[in-house]
Amino acid sequence: MRGTLALTALFAVAAPVLAQDAGMKVPSFDQKTGGSPNMTLVAHVVNHPGAWKAADIEIEEELSRPYLYLSGFVNNDFQIYDIKDPTHPKMLLDWSIENPELHRGIGAMDGKYFKIGTHYYYAQSFQFMQGSPDTDLGAVIFDVTGLPDAATVKEVARIRYPASPGGFHNTFAYKHSDGRVLYFATVGESKAIVYDLAKVVAGGDPASWIVGDVPNPTPFRQNGAGGYHDFYVGYDVGRLRDVFYGAGLGGYSAWDVTRPEAPVQLFTITGLGFDIAHTFTPSPDGNYAVTETEYQYTPLRIWDLKEGQDDQRQNLDLPISAWTADWRDLSHNHEVRWPFVFVSAYEDGLFVFDLKNPKVPRTDGWFYTCHCTHEHGFGGNPNAGWESTTSVEQGAFGVDVRNADGLIVLSDMRTGLWLFRMKGFDGWNGKDIGMPNISSVQDWDHGPVPR
Amino acid sequence: MQRPRHLVLAPCLLVTLLVGAGTAVSGPFDIPLLPGPKVPTAEGEARLLFASSPFGVAVTVDGRHRYDIRIALSGLPDPTSLGAYHAYVAWEVSTDLADWHRLGAVQNGTTTVGQTSRNKFLLVITAEPDSMPSDHSGPTVMHGTSPSGWLQTFMTHPMFRGISQ
Repeated sequence: MRGTLALTALFAVAAPVLAQDAGMKVPSFDQKTGGSPNMTLVAHVVNHPGAWKAADIEIEEELSRPYLYLSGFVNNDFQIYDIKDPTHPKMLLDWSIENPELHRGIGAMDGKYFKIGTHYYYAQSFQFMQGSPDTDLGAVIFDVTGLPDAATVKEVARIRYPASPGGFHNTFAYKHSDGRVLYFATVGESKAIVYDLAKVVAGGDPASWIVGDVPNPTPFRQNGAGGYHDFYVGYDVGRLRDVFYGAGLGGYSAWDVTRPEAPVQLFTITGLGFDIAHTFTPSPDGNYAVTETEYQYTPLRIWDLKEGQDDQRQNLDLPISAWTADWRDLSHNHEVRWPFVFVSAYEDGLFVFDLKNPKVPRTDGWFYTCHCTHEHGFGGNPNAGWESTTSVEQGAFGVDVRNADGLIVLSDMRTGLWLFRMKGFDGWNGKDIGMPNISSVQDWDHGPVPR
Repeated sequence: MQRPRHLVLAPCLLVTLLVGAGTAVSGPFDIPLLPGPKVPTAEGEARLLFASSPFGVAVTVDGRHRYDIRIALSGLPDPTSLGAYHAYVAWEVSTDLADWHRLGAVQNGTTTVGQTSRNKFLLVITAEPDSMPSDHSGPTVMHGTSPSGWLQTFMTHPMFRGISQ
């Protein structure tokens, strides 16, 4: 019954055409307010007074734990909100690094929650630059089991990586098929580091926390060390393996991390225009993927991965389609709830498109959140407020979706915290559409494979 | 052979422009100071000066350079306006914030304090109850990074992967 309902909802989602759907005009920049009729604004919180308010966002998935975490970016903090009443988010905690005014860098970037046993944890990544304290600090881990009582939130560990100062830009908490809870982290080296989070929260020798690393086989050393920028880890139900999908300098790569101590390379995506690979998110079955490259005017690209996954080709270089909110800008992070893709589209706010036909992406809904001046994004001199006069990196930074009820949460670098609902999308379970129930959401109690 | 006049003037003009730019040009001995949230309009800069020595360069017995620090400040309000404070004090702070070494009291205008012998450090100015505190307790009003602090390699740093401007 639920599957029928879900399928009904799937096709009931209104599909207003806009912007970059074939043949459509883009709006003028001063018209970017409001949203599509099927997108309901649930709440908006201006979370900081300054020009830059937030980086990424994370929402807990259990309805009994209605909490979301907002990374404070250059404010060097993170905030926890109680969204039991989604129309009135209530800030429970604003935690800041000690002496925040003495820290320099882009600060609190990415947050991930995870569960081990009966305890819930939150890992906040940080990035501090030269001349700042804590340049070796990657993440701070908190026990958040006692929420909503903020007084019970307790720091349990700090992950430092002095071998490559600069912290963790992106992270991914993953319930591995072998039962471990792993934490993948970007560093300024040509690899991602893999931590065993049970060891981290237990304390002990930090050297024992690292269980492996995933090399980046597509280095682009002219622009840094060719490391990863972002990644996704998911279980491939059809091929019975844990797979790491990495995006970094030089392109994209997929690795079998069933044994994270000894990753096995599966395939790469490299080619012209993919050097600044940013994000790589597969479909629940691993057969398709959405990728982002981080430069203005580039679209999200859609890939058929099957030849790579099935060992027929070692490198893919031809996408099957592309989508963008506005060709003049840049669409950023995304969450895949197949066939929907929820996009934090920088200057264009929240966008949702679908891949019902992967070769013909269609826009389903949107809401503009940036309310900013085009090309005045992040990237300038830190001493001058970080603002550039050419960058489009501003606005919607991160997006997350609560599968249980379809609540959409979004962090905007300029305007803060936003909550939405999209008509016809009341939650997501892959099984309802004939797919594995695999997304960025983890089953912390059971893992991706029933044990 | 006499050099054409305009070729002589050009370097002079360049030097004049650089000097005229004043604080806009920072050298390897300069520390731009940034205001804290309590004094957002304050301005300041500091310069490392070799400490007095009978030799050309002042060093410690273990070979580390010794510097006085000349600090120029403007726009600081009376410290009493920030709370129960009566002085501004400059500190040399280790980069892990664990060790705070008092350099001396400062005020609007130019003050020379010292000495520092760290290679990399933060220069922090706080508001304090008096000018001779044994430890810091008040709010940060200005802060900067020693020039050598910028020498840490961040070629691999994945801020925005070097793609921002």
